[in-house]
Amino acid sequence: MASGVTVSDSCKTTYEEIKKDKKHRYVIFFIKDERQIDVEVIGARDEEYEQFLTNLQAGGAGECRYGLFDFEYMHQCQGTSESSKKQKLFLMSWCPDTAKVKKKMLYSSSFDALKKSLVGVQKYIQATDLSEASQEAVEEKLRATDRQ
Amino acid sequence: MSSGMLYGGDEIGALVFDPGHHSLRVGYAQEDTPKAEIPACVGVAPDDSPKLEPEVKPDDGNVTTSSSAYKYYIDTTFLHTPRPNMELHHYMKDGMIENWDLFEKILDYSYEKIIQSESQYHPVLFSECPWNQRQKREKLTEIMFEKYKVPAFFLVKNAALAAFANGRATALVIDSGATHTTAVPVLDGYVLTNAVVKSPLGGDYLVIRSKEMLESIGIDLTPASLVANKEVVREKDKPRFTKKKISFTPSNSYMSYMIKRTVQDFQQTVLQVSDLPYDERTALNLPALHYEFPSGYHQDFGPERFKLAEGLFDHAVLGAGHLAATSAGMCDVDIRPALYSSVVLTGGNSLVQGFSERLSKDLSSRTPGSMRLKMIAANGTVERRFGSWVGGSILASIGTFQQMWVSMQEYQESGKAQIDRKCP
Repeated sequence: MASGVTVSDSCKTTYEEIKKDKKHRYVIFFIKDERQIDVEVIGARDEEYEQFLTNLQAGGAGECRYGLFDFEYMHQCQGTSESSKKQKLFLMSWCPDTAKVKKKMLYSSSFDALKKSLVGVQKYIQATDLSEASQEAVEEKLRATDRQ
Repeated sequence: MSSGMLYGGDEIGALVFDPGHHSLRVGYAQEDTPKAEIPACVGVAPDDSPKLEPEVKPDDGNVTTSSSAYKYYIDTTFLHTPRPNMELHHYMKDGMIENWDLFEKILDYSYEKIIQSESQYHPVLFSECPWNQRQKREKLTEIMFEKYKVPAFFLVKNAALAAFANGRATALVIDSGATHTTAVPVLDGYVLTNAVVKSPLGGDYLVIRSKEMLESIGIDLTPASLVANKEVVREKDKPRFTKKKISFTPSNSYMSYMIKRTVQDFQQTVLQVSDLPYDERTALNLPALHYEFPSGYHQDFGPERFKLAEGLFDHAVLGAGHLAATSAGMCDVDIRPALYSSVVLTGGNSLVQGFSERLSKDLSSRTPGSMRLKMIAANGTVERRFGSWVGGSILASIGTFQQMWVSMQEYQESGKAQIDRKCP
């Protein structure tokens, strides 16, 4: 069941720019006029995770957002001595507990539409507070699917 | 989008119905709380009034008279008044609508007295239980389109609404209502019906246990509607009250319903779930609570408060914590972490004091080590009791949602099976 909110083409092109060309580090999406998901902020390649979090919450405690981040971390495979750099894309829905029910409803019921149009995202994360959205929590989630 | 424009944007005045065992919630979409909460019970009595002019409707308000020789009494005020030969009937069974005739009476009443507008102007969104049967969904669709001529209709699983209203598209919804407690996994807004786990332990179960306890210590449970006046007595003294003088004996179904309401009030005020499994000695040290019954009798309740509520958790297989763990265990391994990290608590019975704390303790001991548990429970009483209704209210008011409705035109072209295609 979905809300019928659509995804704008600019979301898809920005996503491809991150996925294929590695042009940006992250992108924040929002729902425009309760009708369409659109791009709000594009983060440069050299920006840190903290900046992503700040931008995600820029709307204040009562706002929800979606965020997509190209996450990098070091991973050591079993039986090897060297660790390698891994890149994973995750898509996050940010619905703080303090947000109005209307916002939460709108964003959570439209998440599926965004998920379907951005093909190739490795991990989906639903976050309602910083304990779920922090760098450590996210890294833990991304590592959970790696082989030891 | 063209079909979406048919209904003219956001201002469509959609109605939201959320039927439950305890009550039916009715109201306009976009509002924060339902307009009315109608008890899920209808009083039926033979119509004795002499019919001089059958065309003229009786002027006494909320009584719906039908052409048959019965009178139907709906909503709290009319239901609670004792009447000769009035039998009370429930129209819900196992979370689904069972008695359609009575349910239509309730709908008639809702349109006439609460909405006070004609049904053909308002699209209607209904919530349903996750295990609703196909034939019942189609029947409801048929009634809404054929009898009430609604312009558009939609059916949503109540668990999905509760999850959305808490900001989650994927969640494990623990819904503790009057007749049962369920654990329902929701994935991307779709209910995984094969992994739904139900237990019959809910508010009504607590009422039965409380009633047994109260009767065993000899407390008079005369409901407030039958008490004419009472005197102030000292604690644990025999109550001194006079019953209302009525010339007939109220029916058994009426009495049991009223006693249930009395005990329900006791249960909601007094009962508390203890943090840890019930232990007589620790319970003795916890503060007691004072309660006065309609008869005027009053006393402190100590360990009983916890002992009675413990019934929701101490059962090995039916306890709420176990339900949740079982339901998650029936889902695919890949989505289990997502479920454990968003456990949504809803339903009126979850408001028993200490319920959420205990459930979260119970569940954390059952959560696999590799996963993180996060429980989401709305703080407000209204959000918790009317969780599904609030979700439906917002969903129906979202502009883009208008294109999802099953419209009258679609119904006329493709029939009732349309509901199974558009509302999963």
